[in-house]
Amino acid sequence: MKIDKPLISRLEVLAKLKLSEAEKEEFADDLNNILQMVEKLQEVDTEGVEPLVYINEEVNKLRADQVEGMVSRAEALKNAPDQDETYFKTPKVI
Amino acid sequence: MLRHSAYFTALIETKIFRRTFTFYSFHVPKSVNFALRLIYSLLHFARLMKYETVIGLEVHVQLNTKSKAFCGDAAAYGAAPNTHISAISMAHPGTLPRVNERAIEYAVRLGLALGCDITRDTRFDRKNYFYADSPKGFQTTQDSHPICVGGKLDIEVGGEQKTIRLHHIHLEEDAGKSIHDINPKHSLIDLNRAGVPLLEIVTEPDLRSGEEAYVFITELRKLVRYLDISDGNMQEGSIRCDCNISIRPKGETKLGTRCEIKNVNSMRNAKRAIEYEAKRQIKVIEKGGTIDQETRSFDAQVGHTNNVLRSKENAHDYRYFPEPDLSPVLLTDEYIDTVQKNMPKLPNEIKQELQLVYGLSDYDANVLLEDKDMVFFYKEITQHTKNYKAAANWLTNVIKSYLNENNLSIDQFALSPKTIANLIGMVDDNKLSNAAASQKVFPELVKQPDTSPLELAGQLNLLQDSDAGSIEALVDRIIAKFPDKVKAYRNGKKGLLGMFMGEVMKASGGKVNPKVANQLLREKLDNKT
Repeated sequence: MKIDKPLISRLEVLAKLKLSEAEKEEFADDLNNILQMVEKLQEVDTEGVEPLVYINEEVNKLRADQVEGMVSRAEALKNAPDQDETYFKTPKVI
Repeated sequence: MLRHSAYFTALIETKIFRRTFTFYSFHVPKSVNFALRLIYSLLHFARLMKYETVIGLEVHVQLNTKSKAFCGDAAAYGAAPNTHISAISMAHPGTLPRVNERAIEYAVRLGLALGCDITRDTRFDRKNYFYADSPKGFQTTQDSHPICVGGKLDIEVGGEQKTIRLHHIHLEEDAGKSIHDINPKHSLIDLNRAGVPLLEIVTEPDLRSGEEAYVFITELRKLVRYLDISDGNMQEGSIRCDCNISIRPKGETKLGTRCEIKNVNSMRNAKRAIEYEAKRQIKVIEKGGTIDQETRSFDAQVGHTNNVLRSKENAHDYRYFPEPDLSPVLLTDEYIDTVQKNMPKLPNEIKQELQLVYGLSDYDANVLLEDKDMVFFYKEITQHTKNYKAAANWLTNVIKSYLNENNLSIDQFALSPKTIANLIGMVDDNKLSNAAASQKVFPELVKQPDTSPLELAGQLNLLQDSDAGSIEALVDRIIAKFPDKVKAYRNGKKGLLGMFMGEVMKASGGKVNPKVANQLLREKLDNKT
């Protein structure tokens, strides 16, 4: 797989980022390097091996339907880059 | 008439020869103008009739669990902004979600009720997109292993039964709420709803009209309320749907290009959106255009759908992949059996019970079944009276129209089932006429629900005298008062009975039981000795 200009533009839209032309080239190079590195892994024969999704074999890690673990609003908003003591504030997104 | 039909022809021809319509309509009588408009709408209708609308729905039902789908935040609606949140729902790094077992149970409950196959190894996936009210940057949902597959819901439209097949049902989380109209420069985010469990019911493209969609969502809402897995509250957005709509010429089997209308919030708006969108697509096709696959939104104020996202340049690419933080959920036969056993009664079972045990008509049963709480109220009344038919009549007529007029639901109704049973008992015991009970006592009683019906009927001077002894004395008095009329009656003028009844009622001030009085009068008048 090769990261080209159209793909970078597509990723730009999906990630809601605005990149300059210079950045686009830089990212394309970086991503291509990363992909090349990962492509090395494809040399391994994985015929008949299920993809690994879960790192342990646990199943049914369910939780009872109980209210617990909430934090106060003041505490919740503490880490927000911008807020008005009631809501998280973001740039206008409509 | 003949002259008018001549005009008809003339005018249709003008249309064919592309002569201006206004030129003629200026001179023709109103009736012809009307006829022309009628023809025009018929032609328009005929154009619409050439096409068939094909609809698939994705209905989102909010579950009424206490806590959220993947963490312990309260899931209740209506709390102050950003008070039902935690490190998990805010997507802080290093947090680990866990599946709410009740959400799984509810999904299985709905799946069983709809005849779906329950997936024994159900898993979660990440649906990736960036939006401010989804702090993780993805929605936790199910893509490859949804919890229910297949199934169907039967609906009845215009007296005809129709089966709507389901594609699957999956469990997912809701997003938070973005508010755009408080602050002029910023969007404000409330994360209370972020993570609240939703079941998404995805149908096959089996629906053919806005009306069918309306009935489908209505039936589904009824079902989830009976299953007690959602409160189905439309105002609070407990049920929302996306409508996928395409059109094709009748007889065509290939599907047309579809448009998706996102986030429709009521049955009525789903119907309106579908009808508008189908007409829009027909117009485009009839003008020789093509339909672009796009996402549209419905503006309920003007009743139009508007494009929000065009597929080719900008369509979402959700890049689903497995959610490694949530382990698979394996469901055994024993588990599914337990859910089945604990299942609340379904509307059809309750209908049978209402008809067989309580002897209600199909109509009465259906009216009660429209609302689960109505059925509960009905059953409560029947705890206190054996007159099942009267209990149904009170609910489906008097109480229902009172609630409708005052825009109340049955759980906001001031009178207790026992009070209604009391009223029924008073009518049955001939203490009160049915009309007085429903038209006089009931309207007063809802204003002062703590008064006993008997006391109130007494205050309103509506209690009937059913004591045969005292009524007999009254009847005797009237008969003695009109010897001529008695003779005439006995000579065959049976119609005079009404006059005698009138006299008895007048003399009693309208308070004797008419049935008893009527019977006594007949006996006395017919008895010639």
